[in-house]
Amino acid sequence: MKLSSRYNRVNIITSIIVLIITGIIYYLVIHLILTNKLDKDLAVEENEIRQYTHTYKKLPLPATYLDQQVSYSNPEGDTTDIREFSYTTYLNPKEKEQEPGRSLVTTVNLNGKTVIVTITKSRVESEDLVRIILMITLGITVLLLVSLLLINRFVLNRLWKPFYAVLNRMKAFEVTRMDNIKEEPTRIDEFNELNKSVNAMAEKVKQDYKELKSFTDNASHEMMTPLAIINSKLDSLLQTESFTEQQGALLEDIYQATGRLSRLHQSLLLLAKIENNLISDVQEVDLKEMIEAKIRQFQELFERDGLIVEVKLLERKLTMSRYLADILLNNLISNAVRHNINGGKILLELTAQKLVVCNTGKKLNIQNRMFDRFSKSTESEGMGLGLAISKQICNLHGFGIAYKQDDHLHFFTIYLG
Amino acid sequence: MLVNFTLKSPHNLIIYTMKILVIEDEQALSDSILAYFTGEGNICELAKDFASASEKIALYHYDCILLDLGLPDGEGLELLTQLKSANKKDGVLIISARHSLDDRLAGLDLGADDYLVKPFHLSELKARVSAIVRRKNFDGNNVIAFNEVKVDVTAMKITVNDQPVVLTKKEFDLLVYFLSNKNKVVTKNAMAEHLWGDEMDLSDDFDFIYTHVKNLKKKLSEAGAKDYLRSVYGIGYKFSSQ
Repeated sequence: MKLSSRYNRVNIITSIIVLIITGIIYYLVIHLILTNKLDKDLAVEENEIRQYTHTYKKLPLPATYLDQQVSYSNPEGDTTDIREFSYTTYLNPKEKEQEPGRSLVTTVNLNGKTVIVTITKSRVESEDLVRIILMITLGITVLLLVSLLLINRFVLNRLWKPFYAVLNRMKAFEVTRMDNIKEEPTRIDEFNELNKSVNAMAEKVKQDYKELKSFTDNASHEMMTPLAIINSKLDSLLQTESFTEQQGALLEDIYQATGRLSRLHQSLLLLAKIENNLISDVQEVDLKEMIEAKIRQFQELFERDGLIVEVKLLERKLTMSRYLADILLNNLISNAVRHNINGGKILLELTAQKLVVCNTGKKLNIQNRMFDRFSKSTESEGMGLGLAISKQICNLHGFGIAYKQDDHLHFFTIYLG
Repeated sequence: MLVNFTLKSPHNLIIYTMKILVIEDEQALSDSILAYFTGEGNICELAKDFASASEKIALYHYDCILLDLGLPDGEGLELLTQLKSANKKDGVLIISARHSLDDRLAGLDLGADDYLVKPFHLSELKARVSAIVRRKNFDGNNVIAFNEVKVDVTAMKITVNDQPVVLTKKEFDLLVYFLSNKNKVVTKNAMAEHLWGDEMDLSDDFDFIYTHVKNLKKKLSEAGAKDYLRSVYGIGYKFSSQ
């Protein structure tokens, strides 16, 4: 929900509630005031009748005039001191209509005898007044709501324009491109502040990115140099050639360990690079062609393990880093070779939507941790980084990657989106 | 240029020597490189920093310069720029710990002939340097000879006693690799990385190389060559006349 519509909603609901409550209070108060006024008029009339009776010792004529009726009746039983106001109906003699009315029932003393007097007044005028006031209030309310809506729609949208401009520029911001976020001039202080903060943040991000890049470079250099020395010394040692069979075996072990160490280090650096998006050779990649080349490259390994490779490839071109595409295919295929059984099968399937690498192999129970770093089965010779790297590569390019085990078949599927 | 002048005749034995400059600040590493390259008439010089490297490059000609990018007192790529602006034709191989595509591309754009990432096998370094030197000096007549075995690298043809031998692409690459590292022990590890690339994440079991070596040996001996290849402690192989 957009801020403006959320704000609109709150605003309108509150306005409606407040206006309804005000309307009710307004109505009740006016009603009360008008009733009080009627009651006073009734009391004045009562007073006149009392005085008339007192002076002339007889009742005034029961008459109907000026929206007012007076009638008399004899009390039934003991009815001393009755005096009550009530809402009744008033029969308008001119228009022969029932109208709402207000009546006062009271008593007068006529020559020691009690007579009940009923005075009724029409309420129609006061009711009309209340109705008119109510209509005006409602009209104003509706007018107010409509203008609120219009203000929100047009003014708010215009007010928020600089905000959306900043937002779009942030979306388009890419740290690897090292370009600045342009200033969008606006007179609103908050948006100016936002602009400044966004630019400061972008500056900081770029600075951090540079530092990170130089850190990975330095770390790589500092660790690779001693490794390079060990490697070159081993090569030199080997040339001296006066080893026993046993020493030869030891040398081979050292070779393998240094080889693993440098591969491990390279893999970790690669992971860091992918995570920080430090690889930028994005281009159009012909996946079908790359897979075919990979199969040729792996031919010896397939033959060594007696693996049968089935291939179903359709044309699919992708826009991604060629270097990473190569690593991804390497990892998936070497994984399929490494965890295969002698005389097993590998199935490679490429369609427009997905790439499936399927291999025969032992049943596994690390399904959930398949793509975690350093998670591997005990007999695996790998480092447990290949699939973690593959996952990172997929994440970077917005591909999905999934693993499924079906009896002795292992499926790795990459959804190319 | 210390190149034998009989090289134009493929029937004569071709011996060439290389003059190499190693620009590397890491003493231990440069020692190994110098020890590996020196011998067989090759001349190796060492520059430990930017200043001395810059001086040597300006004064002398080298067949190949091994350039480490991370020097303590300067940016290695600048030496490359200097070399190119002086219009020198020395071959340049960049050695770097930076496994960065940008650096690799920058180096090659500036005119480097090759790029090798640390850590590397000395045999790989030698093979690459030899390839650069051959390319630079032999103008298409790119032939390596070892007694009766002659390899025309450009045309990808091999003759033993002037009789052609047919090899597969991998066997051919392997033979060139051995010849670039003659009289040295070459590990299976290095051979595998050379033939399949170090990105392949091969398992530690390199025995599948054995098939290629065996086939190469067989084809060479069938063509009448002496058995120059021998296995060393199971770690690797050595191509030599002894």
